[in-house]
Amino acid sequence: MTTALLAGPHGPHHLPAGLLAALVPVLVLLLTLDAYCLISLARAPSVRYLPKLAWVFVILLVSAPTGALLYLFFGVDRTRAPGTPKPGARRGAWSPQPAPMRTAPAVTAARADDRMIVTTSGLTRDYGCTGLFEVDLAVPRGSVYGLVGLNGAGKTTLLSILSGMRRPDSGSVAVAAGRLQIAVCPDVPDFDGWLTAYEVVDLARSLVAPEAGSRAVRAAISTVGLAASADRRVGGFSRGMVQRLGLACALVGDPELLILDEPTSALDPAGRAELLGLVAAMRGRRTVIFSSHILADVQRVADEVGILRDGRLLYQGPTQELISTYLTPSWLVRLAGEARQVAAAMEAAGWATRVEPAGDDAIRVDAVTVEAGERGIPAVIAGCGARQVACEPVAADLESAFLALTGAGNSAAGVTA
Amino acid sequence: MTLWRLEWLRMVRTPRALALGAVFVAVGLIEPVVTRYESTLFAHVGNGVRISAPPPTPADGLSGYVSEIGFVGLILVVILTASAFSFDARPGLATFLRTRISSTWQLVMPRFVACSAGATVAYVLGTIAAWFQIRSLLGSLPAAGLLAGMLCGTVYVTFAVAVTALAASIGRGTLATAGIAFGVLLALPILGTIDTIANWLPSALVNAPVDLVDGAQQLPHFLPALAVTVVASAAAVYAAAVRLRSREI
Repeated sequence: MTTALLAGPHGPHHLPAGLLAALVPVLVLLLTLDAYCLISLARAPSVRYLPKLAWVFVILLVSAPTGALLYLFFGVDRTRAPGTPKPGARRGAWSPQPAPMRTAPAVTAARADDRMIVTTSGLTRDYGCTGLFEVDLAVPRGSVYGLVGLNGAGKTTLLSILSGMRRPDSGSVAVAAGRLQIAVCPDVPDFDGWLTAYEVVDLARSLVAPEAGSRAVRAAISTVGLAASADRRVGGFSRGMVQRLGLACALVGDPELLILDEPTSALDPAGRAELLGLVAAMRGRRTVIFSSHILADVQRVADEVGILRDGRLLYQGPTQELISTYLTPSWLVRLAGEARQVAAAMEAAGWATRVEPAGDDAIRVDAVTVEAGERGIPAVIAGCGARQVACEPVAADLESAFLALTGAGNSAAGVTA
Repeated sequence: MTLWRLEWLRMVRTPRALALGAVFVAVGLIEPVVTRYESTLFAHVGNGVRISAPPPTPADGLSGYVSEIGFVGLILVVILTASAFSFDARPGLATFLRTRISSTWQLVMPRFVACSAGATVAYVLGTIAAWFQIRSLLGSLPAAGLLAGMLCGTVYVTFAVAVTALAASIGRGTLATAGIAFGVLLALPILGTIDTIANWLPSALVNAPVDLVDGAQQLPHFLPALAVTVVASAAAVYAAAVRLRSREI
């Protein structure tokens, strides 16, 4: 038997040649694995945690196959398919910024009628101090229904129950739509990062609308402005892009009921405006229930609104009705001098409920009704011979109505206009 | 794109398939060498310590592979399976999947089949690698015993995947799921110390390949354990689907 030399602590030793021959397959396997990793490293647009050169050392010098496995599990950046450019690099039509969302044409012949698509009765889910209590929701078919409330008011719990992700302790939910006709988009959508955007939406399509073809997938991706990123892996998407992708997954099945939880929370102002336009355009075609902290968004697109506080539904109805019901008509009047004289005259008028100075040349006037204020203010100013610079309604918005209704006042830290 | 293709992509786009194959084959290639040259290696690195042992047999070579795979391979299979099943640990992903399926079977079956198939193929490849090395170094193994042993080994690996699936319906995250699964899989050999039930437990299949190639046992001896393991695997997968269906996000 031939032998090989091995330098050991006690001098050179002879190892059987059979041992070396037996180690050949092992070496082949390890070398193949290392070669695979090095080729993968060379082709990768980017790697994670360490620079490429450092990964070369890890693969080659950390005891095999540990170094190679470390690279495969931790070093490989699966957020980009091989051949896709690095962030910031421009190639062809690729754009790091998502394209604007395509607003679908509004349907003038609305389908909505008096029937409700979602109704709940005495819906209760008690988590102890928080939860939902005796919520009677009624969402008209074809409407855009805004659900607003402070943090912990129960918005997400309510939407989770409506979408079947949680169960109520008591009460009932009736949804007049098939299960696959309900699409849910959570506030933080999450997908396997090694899938491309197209594959994610296509997976959603195969689950809810298998009869729809790839055209529906492309259309949904285009609608949310991600057409240029359709073949990128979603692990590299920004949060705003993931939120758009979540919306594309919701839209691909052409759902009858769309439930959006904080859909604009991760979007920049332009993206917010596009999404709101998209939602507004759905009115009449499908029912949209969306929750938001941003009351200006709700006021802009929601024709129905529900206000939750501490798990209870304080108000439900048309948005404009809420504003006109719960707001005291108020104006800020700016004058070129004579403010004190005009204020005194307004206090004397019967229609003014409160008059107070708002700076040197401005006064704030509350009236019993909108009409009384609109008629009375110009008359008093003219009667005093004063010069009016401006007269604008104050706080005639959903936020003010919300604060008036909930009494949240300064504690409404979670609500922003 | 279907949920089945999703699992295929999970295997090939993440290092799951590569890691399973590399680890099982590497162990299959190395363990027989270690067994064959154990005394020689000790003589070189053991600071003069001499170990006298009878010459290793082919069954000893397979025993080294089986015992190493029963540890390293099992850890890998359980962790990879746990990560595939812990979708509920990510609420956004859970919402995406759960609001679009009509039954939790749609989530459970593709994952179970993909993980089982991956682990089974890796186990078979590792056994073939071990057979190749054993044949070169220690002598031939009886083909019938080896095939029967592979059958027992793959059934046990599938059982480990099923137990992990069930564990995922109890714990949400990968670590919690893997911990529960390991707890169950490690408890079985302890139960196996009770003679009356030892031959009925899935853990009896772990060393079955060795017993079958050295002629200590024949395949009928393991039929009760095989039957119990198959039934327990099916029950675990069923229970996982039922439990996952009732879980809230």
